[in-house]
Amino acid sequence: MARYILKRLWHTVYVAVGISLISFFFIHLSGDPVLLMLPPDASKEEVETLREQLGFNDPLAVQYLRFAGHALRGDLGVSLVHRVPALDLIFERLPASLELAGAAMLFALAVAVPLGILAAVRRGSLLDLGSMLAALFGLSMPHFWLGIMLVLLFSVHLGWFPTSGRGSFAQLVLPALALGLSLLAMFARLTRSVMLEVLGQDYVRTARAKGLRERLVIGKHALKNALIPLVTVAGMQFGFLIGGTVIIETVFAWPGVGRLVVQAIFSRDYPLVQAAVLVLAVLFVLINLLVDLLYVLLDPQISYGGGS
Amino acid sequence: MRKTAIILAVLWAAALAVQPAAAKDPDTLVVVQEAEPVGLDIMQSSIQTTMSVGYNLHDTILKPQEDATVKPGLVEKWEKLNDLTWKFTLVKGATFHNGEPIDAAAVKFSFERLMGDALKSTHRGKLNLFKGVEVIDERTFTMSTSEPYAPGLYMLAQYFFIVPPKYVQQVGDAEYNLKPVGCGPYRLERWVKGQEVVMTAYEKYYGPKPAYKRLIFRGVPEEASRIAALLTGEADVVSGIPMHQRPKILASGKAYLTDQMGSMNYLGLNTYEKPFNDVRVRQAVNYGVNRELINQALFQGKAILCRGPISPRTFGADPALKPYPYDPEKAKKLLAEAGYPNGFEARLAYGTYMPQIQEQAEAIAADLGKIGIRVKLEPYERAVMWERYKNRQHQMFIYFWDDAPEPDRYMYSLFHSKSRDYYYKNETVDRLLEKGRTTLDPAERAKVYHQIDRFLYEDAPWVYLYVIPEVYAVSNAVEYKGLRDGYLIMSTARPRK
Repeated sequence: MARYILKRLWHTVYVAVGISLISFFFIHLSGDPVLLMLPPDASKEEVETLREQLGFNDPLAVQYLRFAGHALRGDLGVSLVHRVPALDLIFERLPASLELAGAAMLFALAVAVPLGILAAVRRGSLLDLGSMLAALFGLSMPHFWLGIMLVLLFSVHLGWFPTSGRGSFAQLVLPALALGLSLLAMFARLTRSVMLEVLGQDYVRTARAKGLRERLVIGKHALKNALIPLVTVAGMQFGFLIGGTVIIETVFAWPGVGRLVVQAIFSRDYPLVQAAVLVLAVLFVLINLLVDLLYVLLDPQISYGGGS
Repeated sequence: MRKTAIILAVLWAAALAVQPAAAKDPDTLVVVQEAEPVGLDIMQSSIQTTMSVGYNLHDTILKPQEDATVKPGLVEKWEKLNDLTWKFTLVKGATFHNGEPIDAAAVKFSFERLMGDALKSTHRGKLNLFKGVEVIDERTFTMSTSEPYAPGLYMLAQYFFIVPPKYVQQVGDAEYNLKPVGCGPYRLERWVKGQEVVMTAYEKYYGPKPAYKRLIFRGVPEEASRIAALLTGEADVVSGIPMHQRPKILASGKAYLTDQMGSMNYLGLNTYEKPFNDVRVRQAVNYGVNRELINQALFQGKAILCRGPISPRTFGADPALKPYPYDPEKAKKLLAEAGYPNGFEARLAYGTYMPQIQEQAEAIAADLGKIGIRVKLEPYERAVMWERYKNRQHQMFIYFWDDAPEPDRYMYSLFHSKSRDYYYKNETVDRLLEKGRTTLDPAERAKVYHQIDRFLYEDAPWVYLYVIPEVYAVSNAVEYKGLRDGYLIMSTARPRK
């Protein structure tokens, strides 16, 4: 098991190198940051001086090696716009991203799993139909629109929650809800379909035949098996949410990593984009590793590293 | 029973967490902009939202005025020693927020920091005609320019920020960007990154004390959320209000609108290539765009139609000029005279980041279609738009400049061939721009800019569009008028009686 984890961690290094190479060359293809950094009336000399100072006149390969050399020492460069180390900026924003993604995920799972189970158990009932229709509705609603509607209803009309920002629990509720609702829809539909499949399996029939109480059959035998695909999808979604909630971050002025990266891309803040892509990629790999390890807990038949 | 207890406990906890926003402290003013600052050292960024925060913490030596003149600030009096040199006297006893004295040595240090290579300040180019600061005594210093420079005092008033030498040297530039010690009306209390910048009024400020004891800046990128914050009372002043949101805010009865510097949009033409190398074609395009209709349809009539290249609100605009009228017949006639009786095809580039730009581009394209110019729209992302602009790849392009009070800033940058000759170059214009920059008598200087305005109106290297004033929404509880230089100087705000 330990060997397996080490091997997987070693893979992370490959991913990091690959991702850094790809992102480095792509972002350098996309335009010159110097022109955007200076005011529009900067003279040609000013542009050239700054370009030279920042090392953008060197060949790309030289620039990449310089970046990689620094990166190995834990230095991912200084943001061109913010003028502070790029890594500092990302780690400042990361807790906000984790908090929002975590809250949305918790909310979605807490509602979706029971809902999905109920829908599966009472297949064809009004509850099944109603909840799946609502889930479809939740999936089809654009985040952006939903976020603004929540603000209008709960902040402007009812005055229950602040409109935006981060710092208090009340400020977390609306963005987590807006983000969580579409996740909820997806998880509920997934739980339902996986449960339906599991409930038709022989071992469930056996459990029932043994005279086990229905609650135990569903809660222990069926659900535990149904959780595996759910954990996989939830893990992937969580990894995605850390950097991918730009729209919700924009509507609620949530200081997450996603918006930081998008702004960095628009202003061609190379070091910041580069560092963010790297950190997010590594995080994504680590979350997936965690998911794989969770399988072991859920299903004793799964084991890593042979014989453990 | 147990279940009910748990549910009740959860509901109770939720109710505790969800308390409506507490009543706001009347001594606190909350400003919500489109973005939070990227740093707090005003010398290190020229992003407008960042500078707006910085201007409350920092002061320049003079106060810029709407008519491009200046008033005393840190400098209480000044005199012109000759056409190249000014002598300045600082106010007595002014201090930085950490108690360091503001003396001539601090002024000299600040200039050298701003212009130095180490800082890579984006404001350098704005003051590069100044040679340096000579310290005479503790409160007196002189500054010279390399040639007579009419906008000099205004540029100093707008961009020459004063910072404390000891503190800067002690903490370094990077740390100063996070924890600046300025000499403005407010001093930094804390910057919670991603959330807010909190400032308190500086008790020993040398100028008039601000009415609000505490000032908070927040960044909210989405306009609907900014307006919601205003309507719930979380924000007192909100920037970046699009024209179409005006009625909603006024109808709420909770806020009013004010405006400040605007975005002067123009349609640039590549005069180096056919067909726009012919002045008749350029004039035809000017007659062919129905700007008044665009103004009514997109900006509720609140935009200001441009006459020539100088904004009608800027010093030096020729009041005798009238905007090109919409006259498609005349446009077609001019096109026929130029050898294009059946029109032609043309590309129109624009940056997708400009507000309401798609609608403007489509309206212009439709108008030009009516006079036979078949327009292909080319939307570009910011950096690509700029790169293509610099590489002379545009044929027609919509761009903008702030309609700042001082004409030299943008006229020299945009029309002098030493600055950019990407799409237009004219010796007369070059000569007049140099004269405008070096003529020190304001009345004479105005005449020079009138000449420039008229010349470019006739020569039409652009289609002169309109100035879209930047709109702020202000809570009814606050008295605040937007400033023409475009920054949110909140020491001018006070509670409304």
